[in-house]
Amino acid sequence: MPQSYPREHIEDLVDDNLDWNQLRDMMSDYKDADRFQTVRSVLQERVDWDDPIIIPYADHLYVVARSEDEWIIKCECGHEFCEHDQNWKADALINVRDTEEEYLEIYPENMHPHPEFMELREFFCPGCQTLLEVTNVMPGYPLIHEFEPDIETFYNEWIDEPIPAPEQSA
Amino acid sequence: MASSEQDPTDHSAEILSIDAGGTMTDTFLIDRDGKFTVGKAKTTPDDESRGFLNSSQDALEDWRLDVEDGFPDLVSTVYSGTAMLNRLVERESEVDVGILITGGMEDTLRMGRGRQSYTGFSYSDRLHVNTHRHPEPLIPRDQIRGVRERVDVKGNELVPIYESDVRESVDELLDRGVDHIAVMFLHAYQNAEHEQRARAIAEERIAERDADTTVMLSSEYYPTLKELPRLNTLAAEAFAAEPSRKQLTNVQEAVDQNGGDVGVRVMASHGGTVDIHANELARTLVSGPIGGMIGANYFGNELGYENLVCTDIGGTSFDMGIIIDNDWDINYNPEMARLLLSLPMVNMESVGAGTGSYVRVNPTFDKIELGPESAGDQVGVSAVETDVETVTVTDCHVALGWIDPENFLGGDMPIDRNVAEAEIREQVAEPLGMGVYEAAQGVVDILENKLRNDLESVVTGEGYAPSNFKCVSYGGGGPVHTAGYTSGLGFDEVLIPEWAAAFSAFGCGAADFEYRYDQTTNIDIDADVSRAEAASTAGEQLTEIWTRLEEKVRDEFTNSNVGREEIEFQYNILGQYQGQLNALDIESPVSRADSPETLEELLDTFEDAYRRQYSEEARSPELGHTVTQASVRGVHDVVKPEIPTETPVGPDPPESAYKQPRESYWDGEWLDTDILDLHALQPGNELTGPAVLEGAATTFVLPPGYETRLDEHRVHHLSQTD
Repeated sequence: MPQSYPREHIEDLVDDNLDWNQLRDMMSDYKDADRFQTVRSVLQERVDWDDPIIIPYADHLYVVARSEDEWIIKCECGHEFCEHDQNWKADALINVRDTEEEYLEIYPENMHPHPEFMELREFFCPGCQTLLEVTNVMPGYPLIHEFEPDIETFYNEWIDEPIPAPEQSA
Repeated sequence: MASSEQDPTDHSAEILSIDAGGTMTDTFLIDRDGKFTVGKAKTTPDDESRGFLNSSQDALEDWRLDVEDGFPDLVSTVYSGTAMLNRLVERESEVDVGILITGGMEDTLRMGRGRQSYTGFSYSDRLHVNTHRHPEPLIPRDQIRGVRERVDVKGNELVPIYESDVRESVDELLDRGVDHIAVMFLHAYQNAEHEQRARAIAEERIAERDADTTVMLSSEYYPTLKELPRLNTLAAEAFAAEPSRKQLTNVQEAVDQNGGDVGVRVMASHGGTVDIHANELARTLVSGPIGGMIGANYFGNELGYENLVCTDIGGTSFDMGIIIDNDWDINYNPEMARLLLSLPMVNMESVGAGTGSYVRVNPTFDKIELGPESAGDQVGVSAVETDVETVTVTDCHVALGWIDPENFLGGDMPIDRNVAEAEIREQVAEPLGMGVYEAAQGVVDILENKLRNDLESVVTGEGYAPSNFKCVSYGGGGPVHTAGYTSGLGFDEVLIPEWAAAFSAFGCGAADFEYRYDQTTNIDIDADVSRAEAASTAGEQLTEIWTRLEEKVRDEFTNSNVGREEIEFQYNILGQYQGQLNALDIESPVSRADSPETLEELLDTFEDAYRRQYSEEARSPELGHTVTQASVRGVHDVVKPEIPTETPVGPDPPESAYKQPRESYWDGEWLDTDILDLHALQPGNELTGPAVLEGAATTFVLPPGYETRLDEHRVHHLSQTD
């Protein structure tokens, strides 16, 4: 059991470049003690902005620290959505597919849900137009709030490390 | 090399049992008196017979013999190699295999079955869905061709075979240069006509093109239900087993050239050995741990023990099996190399815990965990010549003073007790804030608790009471833990043969020369028809299948020049009440069931077995019966190893058996412990723990509160004193 993997190995993990056996060995083994921090620092290196990443939130999305007590959800491209405990989808560009025609643009015939029962909502980043999330719900259903991270508990009680904060400007 | 005695004179090597592993070829040689010696040599994959000869020579040297002197005395030679299994595991073979399959089923191998995505995984990974993945199929998709045809589950032809499909497919496969064409059509076990027609056409094409390709039919090799295991097994036969035939022939030639007058046989999964010319070689793939079961059964037969629980601890695994009335259960769908196969295999449970299991502290929960990985034959960190870095269970034995560092494997493996203690301190004791010996004892306790739980679930989980069984313990690591893992389970007796380390090899030597054929059937014996009518319909049908299987068994024996009159046949069925799901494996008292009397006898046997397995109240003969499988076993008598019989001397061990006593750690305290030479004890000797009995390849640990008696067959009877 490695206490930690070489940084290159974690980079390959983030980039999905490990072969299956390596990946499976990692999953079956005890978790390396510094995995989270290494992944966080690899991700930090990949983005063009300086706000420290607190946690990866979803594909392309991060919770970052704008100041010591202001945590926001931010896209890879730099677009800032909202406070970390709010639903970023409310600020996203949304495309709704709720007609036969719109469904057929992406589904084979007879393979899609009935538009009166289910609509497809596609959420895009207003900054870079990346498709961030898709939900399939009944028409009229409220926006699903997937995840409200409990950052204090995670940092203080689970990994016992300080919550990242921007360096104080001199 | 290790040998079971000091005086190497006057031996006649009777039984030779060889295990050619990936790196080393191990030899066990047993003489007329049950004395054994072991040999080792590097495996030579290009021509396995060289490794075989070197390893045999190494073993014979202990008895001051050459192969030319030793081989002529041999009466039984059983060979098992891992080359076949390696082809399966690595999915690499010297041969190319093409498949003809019912049209529409071409992706059978790729789709596999849910279970195949996690077979062979550790328990924690089986629960951890992210780790599941379908294994790579044996045969790539582009070597599989569909043929339009269809036979239904009752064997009726629904769609005739499209002969042009066969021709085209065969041509395409021949263009790719395949060495074997395996044909598997749906429900061919009920009606093999389409497969046979496909072979006829394929062979025509092969002849016309003057190709050197053979055709194999699923209905001839494995006429059993379930197309995935059937196809896996047929593919394994062509892909992994056939290429080994040449190697086995080389081994046979090596025996012949050195004056041996004995046919080399191979251990097969059904619990017997088969000739190297056997049609179905694939079943020799999965013979691994069953040698011990066969040995235990033979031993039970000879000494009058009918019900046995067999336990085998080696470096990597703990294998358990049950023998009732001197017979074992058969598992018809064993798993190997992450493939479900359709082969009869002696049923055993295996857990990944052995003396070589790694000991680690789980950093999340601060508790000791064992395995599932292990150092295997590399022993542990205290074996200074190996490169093991993680503490193993054996290291803990060394630290506790249970194993003599000077005498491990007869002194062949240098062991450093200081290294063991230092590594246990660093890797286990300190992270947990415990003392070294406390931690080492903890590790042993955890292992023994785990083994005890597993053993209990195998026995009581099947509905059996341990008090009806004798537990036999063997394997190199078995006797160290026997007292621990049997404590409190309430077995009738606990038996440890002195030759525990060589018990599996002994078992291979004790295996019958046996062929076995199975066929799935669908024969209903309705409750509302007269016995006479049932006998002339269902009984007739069963008899016909038995006769056909008998023929196949006879043909196999003909390959080895064994005549009909030298074969003892046994007839089995899987039977169930109509509409029920679970079938019982029944040894039939009759070889034919086409008369009302014989059919009645067969059904009575089923009723008895059902009563024994479930209860009188659960019997439901009013539902009628179904025979779901028919089997025929043919056994040809071969020479078996002798079980030693000596005259009891008395309860006190001879002075010469005592070695230098040593302090050992037992449950929190250091006690002066008698150390004895396991092989110098005399029949009738009785000992009380704490004591350590050291043998050539195993150590028998007798903790405080236990006593043991050596009987006239050199078997220890272990019991608790309080």
